[in-house]
Amino acid sequence: MLEVEGLHKAYGATVALDGVDLVVPPGTVLGLLGPNGAGKTTLVSIAVGLRRPDAGTVKIDGIDAVRHRRRTGRLIGFAPQETGIYPPLTVRDNLRFFAGLAGLRGRDLRDRIDDVAGALGLSALLDRRGSELSGGERRRVHTAIALLHRPKLVLLDEPTTGADVRTRGEILQLVRGLADDGSAVVYSTHYLHEVEELDAHVAFIDHGRIVARGAVDDLIQEYGSSGLELTFDRHVPSAARVDGAIVDGTRVRIPTSDPAGTAAQLLPRFDLDTAGLRGIEVVRPSLESVYLSVTGRRYAQTVEPAA
Amino acid sequence: MISPRRLVVILAHELRLARRDPLPIMVLIVFPVINMAFLKPAFRPALVQGGHQHANGAEQVVPGQAAMTAFFLVSLVTFAFFAEHGWETWDRLRASQATSAEIVIGKALPRLAIGVAQFVVILSVGVFLFDLHIRGAVLAFAPLVTAFCLCLILLGVAVTAVCRTAQQANSFSILGMVLFGAIGGALVPLNVLPGWARTIAPVTPTYWVMRGFRSVILDGQGIGGVATPTAVLLAMTAVFTVVALLRLRLDETKVGWA
Repeated sequence: MLEVEGLHKAYGATVALDGVDLVVPPGTVLGLLGPNGAGKTTLVSIAVGLRRPDAGTVKIDGIDAVRHRRRTGRLIGFAPQETGIYPPLTVRDNLRFFAGLAGLRGRDLRDRIDDVAGALGLSALLDRRGSELSGGERRRVHTAIALLHRPKLVLLDEPTTGADVRTRGEILQLVRGLADDGSAVVYSTHYLHEVEELDAHVAFIDHGRIVARGAVDDLIQEYGSSGLELTFDRHVPSAARVDGAIVDGTRVRIPTSDPAGTAAQLLPRFDLDTAGLRGIEVVRPSLESVYLSVTGRRYAQTVEPAA
Repeated sequence: MISPRRLVVILAHELRLARRDPLPIMVLIVFPVINMAFLKPAFRPALVQGGHQHANGAEQVVPGQAAMTAFFLVSLVTFAFFAEHGWETWDRLRASQATSAEIVIGKALPRLAIGVAQFVVILSVGVFLFDLHIRGAVLAFAPLVTAFCLCLILLGVAVTAVCRTAQQANSFSILGMVLFGAIGGALVPLNVLPGWARTIAPVTPTYWVMRGFRSVILDGQGIGGVATPTAVLLAMTAVFTVVALLRLRLDETKVGWA
């Protein structure tokens, strides 16, 4: 459904995308993962036609999305990162406007509004103004707008940022449902655990490049490793800088299949009174450890999920 | 290519938004009516001095206040764009099926209708409440008012194109209303302005719409009396259109409100 090849985009001297290749077949969810500024939003923006690439191609259902934006626009459902709805209008009027632009009319339009509102728990809110909604409710309306015209390709850019637990759960459930119904879904996020929950295919993007891709389990099997993470008050002492250790500020992660044994070997080397050891953590294989393996850096999760 | 169906969707949407917040449109009516009540007697001597012995002041104050207040159209247009940035709906709108032309026209047309309606209401109020006598053909107002409102709408689009923030655009609009209103002869009759102001007055759209109004209301002319003012207003519209086309970049990041 979505085929991206050799995509380049720079903003002045800053390279946002540096030769990105991606394929998202129908009926699948691609979790586009990366820290803030990795290039996720630029990639999604180009796919929906908001920005033009410097080089490379984007095809949606075989159609060049850069040259024929109007044709591919019909196939796309897009929810940008920022929650954008019209505060003076009711939820119904917000949905009606975008459904109308997408070509829905009459009974079909009304039915789709009811269907999408039902799927996202918005039925009781349809006659409430956007300005009267909570943050989570706004996020659900924002997501609902992307789904009104039964798009074949859904691009959700950071769809759960600022969302409450209920909204996040509903969005994740909806994304799974969309893929089950045959849509291709690009789910851009910096929350690793959401992609693990979705059991999606994953593409890690870092500094504008895809650095790893595949099914969650495959990636963890290939790159993920257990490890031992030590945190110090000031700096990582030389005794902790063993072969393969990855130092990040006052933390060091030591990849090992036997964290307990490694800890038992390592800890006697420190003078615990002066080393300033603040914490010891056993790290299980996960997407976080995959990211660490492929980039050599800890996953910079700068925004914590809302409780 | 413009889809009439999508254009209707955008027009209906813009009218729905306007209905939810009617205050700015009410200002277009209430503000000039209040000013007309206060200022009408003050303008009679100036009109008499200008050779119109039977004038009562309404001949200046009614079209003058309507023309000055119409500059709020510039604000209404810029707000229509900047609000989308403030509400974070701009990217979503651009990513929709709507083309750039449909978005711009869809936002401009309702404001054009509002502007024309404002003149109809104010001139009617002038006739029925302020004893405005129109000596010429009332129908001659149609091209004149339409051209003037169109000119202000495109000025609004051009201001949107060159400004990065809503505050900048708002400042432009207010400055335009006061400056163009005063120099163009809408605030006070042209013959009481200093010589330098009368010299530069023709660069303002207000001068030309007021000249057209005077031709019909005071001099009793018809379409012939508004032909030149209408043509000049359309030429100014063309200039603003060129500025808008050259400078308006829909992918530009703008600051709706801080």
